[in-house]
Amino acid sequence: MAEIELHNVTRKFGNGAEALGNVSVAFESGSMTFLTGHSGAGKSTLLKLLLRLDVPTRGQVLVGGVDISQLAEKYIPVFRQNIGVVFQDHHLLDERTVFENVAVPLRVMGMADRDIERRVRAALSAVSLLEKEKLYPPLLSTGEQQRVGIARAVVNRPKLLLADEPTGNLDPDLSRDIMELFEQFKLVGTTVIIASHDRELINSMGKRIIELDHGRLMGANY
Amino acid sequence: MNAPVRPGKGRNKAPKKGPWSSPVSAGIAGFFRAHSRVAKESFAFVSARLGTSLLVWLLIGIALGLPAGLYLLERNLGAMSEDWQGKPGISLYFEPGTSAEMISNVREQLGRDARIGDVALVSSELALEEFKAYSGLSDALAVIEHNPLPDSMRAVLADNVEPFQIKLISGSLAQFPGVKEVVVELTWLERITAIMQLVSRLGIILAVLFGVAAILITATSVRLAIESRLEELKVLKLVGATNAYIRRPFLYFGLIYGMGGGVIGAMLVSLSIQVIEGPLARFIGSYGGVLGIVGLDSAFVVGMLGVGGLLGIAGALLSSRQRLADLQVG
Repeated sequence: MAEIELHNVTRKFGNGAEALGNVSVAFESGSMTFLTGHSGAGKSTLLKLLLRLDVPTRGQVLVGGVDISQLAEKYIPVFRQNIGVVFQDHHLLDERTVFENVAVPLRVMGMADRDIERRVRAALSAVSLLEKEKLYPPLLSTGEQQRVGIARAVVNRPKLLLADEPTGNLDPDLSRDIMELFEQFKLVGTTVIIASHDRELINSMGKRIIELDHGRLMGANY
Repeated sequence: MNAPVRPGKGRNKAPKKGPWSSPVSAGIAGFFRAHSRVAKESFAFVSARLGTSLLVWLLIGIALGLPAGLYLLERNLGAMSEDWQGKPGISLYFEPGTSAEMISNVREQLGRDARIGDVALVSSELALEEFKAYSGLSDALAVIEHNPLPDSMRAVLADNVEPFQIKLISGSLAQFPGVKEVVVELTWLERITAIMQLVSRLGIILAVLFGVAAILITATSVRLAIESRLEELKVLKLVGATNAYIRRPFLYFGLIYGMGGGVIGAMLVSLSIQVIEGPLARFIGSYGGVLGIVGLDSAFVVGMLGVGGLLGIAGALLSSRQRLADLQVG
């Protein structure tokens, strides 16, 4: 059984608009997959369903065999503690240092300071930002801010890594570097799902691609 | 506009446990670690906005100080009435021009009466001197040629005399030659009891009104703090923070604001007592009493801190529960 499975998932909003229509797809543990499609294709909605920020109108989202739309409220935080999220606009906290931004998921889990220090330094080292740990995000370049966001997403060694347009503001070289970084996490068993409309970059990575169009699954190179 | 997410709405199955457990088992040590860190951060947040914090403390302090002041007033009136109830007294006022011999005669008769305890004579001259001292009208009184005040005598009843006997005794004392008027202190007891009841009820009304005010002041301040940290709260939600974790710093804000307000409230009450202490001592002294404020002690201050802290937490809970329920993430 795949780690993550969507069975006939439909998501309709109150105004009748359908963000996803009867989508069925599976993601194996430790796989790396690109979700692509135009703006409004349903990529972000799918990521929200996987993060349990939203629930489908119809169908099931199974993670480890459990339908996460049935999760009780009190179990959702622990579920999310196992997921890393990277956003196009980083969502960094400007008044906290790079170190403190990356440490946020570990503090939420109640980890000891000594272990936080070790894990944050390792994550910052992986994105080559160790020397900037004491700086504040506004002092960093866009690419550096995105790398801080990635460090924060992987510092808790997530089982699932979700990225929504992670290279949207970056130049091609930097985009390529970041994709290679994601590939490293895939190698340690993390399931990586990246939503992007940058077809050129996606094709160059040679990974599985799932294409959405107006909420429908158009095709996948399995 | 997307419909708000109502997780699990319309589903019949029992809520399920998640597929994954927490990556870290923090235990009780993690709980205290998190509290200690959040407490430090909350103090830093409040200190960094000292002007705003002082204003909040002052507002809560005034809200707590008014009912607390009334509570102290009620306690002191109670103590005063207990004092008087233990030693009921009667004042006898003589006709102007009553001879010293007649007054002395009355005093002797009172001394022989088993129902009477101590007897003190207040001559008209002494009464005038005391009146000058307490009224501050010494200049005006200096131009009066004749002393208008009568000689008087205050008799404290014996310990074994029941309060209901006072009126009977006063009736017999009024028969003494030269006695113009007999004033029973029971009237004062009745007045003080009535005032105490009034103060007590006013205290309850003010405590409820100002308690609600203190909660609303804290709730508003905490709401502003939440709004200034919305981005952080969204990130916390995304990385798996529980609502209790997200609420925690705001509960500390409420506690700090409330306890700070309690300290200010206790200071305001103490300051007010210092301001009225002089006139109050003279007033009580004019009835033969000695001012001794009861209740303004360390227990009172601790009580103010406790009540302030509880109201602060209540305000913070009110505000944070409401705002976090509305928080849209993603």
